[in-house]
Amino acid sequence: MKKMVIFFMMFVSFVMLSACESRSDSDTIELNVFMSFPRFQEEFEAYFELFEQKMLEEEGIKVKVNLEMASSDTAQQLLQARLSSNDAPDLYTLHAIADIPSYYDAGYLADLSDATFTELVFESVLESVTYDGKILALPLESLAWGYLYNKDMFEQYDLTPPLTLSEMENVVSVLQANDETPFLLAFQESWIPQLMMALALGAMINSEAPDFIDNMNVGTGSYADISEVFDIIDLIMANGTDRAFETGGASGSADFANGEAAMWVQGPWMSGSILEVNPDMNIGLAPLPVTNNEETTMINLSTSTSLGVSPTSENKELAIKLLNFILDPEHSSSLFSSLKFAPLATVHDYESFSWTDEAMTYVEAGKAYLERPLPPGVTDETAVALQEYYLGDKTRQQVIDAIDTAWRNAIE
Amino acid sequence: MKHKNRSLLLYCFPALLLYATFVLYPAVGGFWYSLTNWNGLNPTYDYVGFANYRELLNDQVFHRSLRFTFRYVAYMVVLQNILALTLAIIIENLRRFKGLFRTIFFFPNMISMIVGGFIWLFIFTRAFPFFANSLGIAILGESWIGNPQYAFYSILILSLWGSVGYLMVIYIAALQNIPKPLLENARIDGANEWQINWHVVRPLIAHSITIGMFIALFSSFKVFDQVYALTGGGPGRATQVVSLNIFTEAFAMRSRYGYASAKAVILFLIIMVITCVQLLIMKRKEVEL
Repeated sequence: MKKMVIFFMMFVSFVMLSACESRSDSDTIELNVFMSFPRFQEEFEAYFELFEQKMLEEEGIKVKVNLEMASSDTAQQLLQARLSSNDAPDLYTLHAIADIPSYYDAGYLADLSDATFTELVFESVLESVTYDGKILALPLESLAWGYLYNKDMFEQYDLTPPLTLSEMENVVSVLQANDETPFLLAFQESWIPQLMMALALGAMINSEAPDFIDNMNVGTGSYADISEVFDIIDLIMANGTDRAFETGGASGSADFANGEAAMWVQGPWMSGSILEVNPDMNIGLAPLPVTNNEETTMINLSTSTSLGVSPTSENKELAIKLLNFILDPEHSSSLFSSLKFAPLATVHDYESFSWTDEAMTYVEAGKAYLERPLPPGVTDETAVALQEYYLGDKTRQQVIDAIDTAWRNAIE
Repeated sequence: MKHKNRSLLLYCFPALLLYATFVLYPAVGGFWYSLTNWNGLNPTYDYVGFANYRELLNDQVFHRSLRFTFRYVAYMVVLQNILALTLAIIIENLRRFKGLFRTIFFFPNMISMIVGGFIWLFIFTRAFPFFANSLGIAILGESWIGNPQYAFYSILILSLWGSVGYLMVIYIAALQNIPKPLLENARIDGANEWQINWHVVRPLIAHSITIGMFIALFSSFKVFDQVYALTGGGPGRATQVVSLNIFTEAFAMRSRYGYASAKAVILFLIIMVITCVQLLIMKRKEVEL
């Protein structure tokens, strides 16, 4: 009896262990791709099937792309657990500005400088995935952003996007006089109020305070040096919609689409959910004025989601072929336009969105800058501190102290 | 006897194996990481001794989240048990529809608290203002998520809604186990309802009160999903409970796994000490039939 029990136990554990291993054909090469866009699952699956076909037809290799889509909330934790336990996917998405430096320093990104896709990507976008002189990822989402505004409402009151802070004050008073709320406040998710600081700070360090980041990094700077950024933040907070902390990204999009406010400090990545609520909405995009110096009013150029290759990948060559295929002259345009991503390579010839074109008019006039990375933790601290600032829990000085401290801790 | 123990142990073995792999091993690992400066990403890290623990002494944000959690636990332990016991007594005294009401009150317990959180988020942010406008009830028009004072009660309401049903079932079972003759004897001896409840029922369900307090204590110390879904710890950090503080330390901010693990160890010690003390005190008050 006892023996039988032991035998049974061993059998159970054997079955459990062997179930963990999956079988595969030996002549098929498997490529594991980890991405953080569940909303684009179908598009990418279809696209990778094209890749499998192409490889079979042109090179006679049987490829199986295993696509793993993690929700954006948990993707980073999953990915980091994989990487640090030597179970890295062959290709994975990461944030170009925020993640590339730390991932590269930890040794998790392969050098892609020689891949053919690098010749196709626009120079300014390529720069954002370059670190330590090497190209480390294929950019997927490139952004030109400022704040969004309701074009119809601006036309109705004969307004044009302001280029200075006092012009913005004027726009605000015209809107107020007509019983319209100037700004939409959706502060429930802390990354949204943080966008105000991202834009204002970016504008300052690329015009009036070029040494700011360097000073901060050696410990001599302070956000007090660029306290002008709070002027526009104060103006927005004082002229915004009610119930800011009960409005998140989704409900904010709905409110904006329904004309609850004329402007929203928010990027074009929300255009999809805005148009879902109101397909006829005319979304405008303009640079946020920070001071009365017109030179500081600029569009932020940034790259977010990018696709990198693990240096431990057994099929690195094939992984790079997949990256090149994402910018395939024949198929890439339809993929990027169906994802509503902005064109970022010479092979992209699809019609872009009106707000992208509008942003590009500023970019072409030289009124744009490339986003620079901040030390880890600074953006998160800014996000929370600005929520507390709106709440009245923190004064301007306390916000400055909190972010300064976060920066100091990060560079220690 | 020895033989019997061994075969019993064998039956526990699969569960024990899983428990050891997925709970014990990571827990011990977590303690080890709390002595390092690992950032959750790099393949290497350094041993830093008790530096993380020393840093905790001056971490105002962590202290604030601890104070908030203690306040939450205090409210939860009292309210959860009182409400659960009250519901149990009411339902037990019903003549009809006992099963129906038991199901209704237990139902929220079967919903994931993240889902429950989103349901209540809708109620607080959309339904409440609507009723405030249409019915003129001013209190409903307050900012139930955005105002830190009210946000605390919002979290409390959601947590009670989700957890009272579970304790209620435990109390119902305890009430049903009381031998009816005892109650009748007391009644014949001239005790009124209140005296019966206090002198007969209370000691007999004392073991369930111990369990109820125990469950309420440790589950509210670990509260996470309710707060995460409802306020995300905000506005600002006004409703950040300890587990959320640990979570953001590890997975946002500067990804300091080592430091976050140190916080988790402290939380574990607090829960262990408090629940042990609670069990010791409550056990003394129980009676056996």
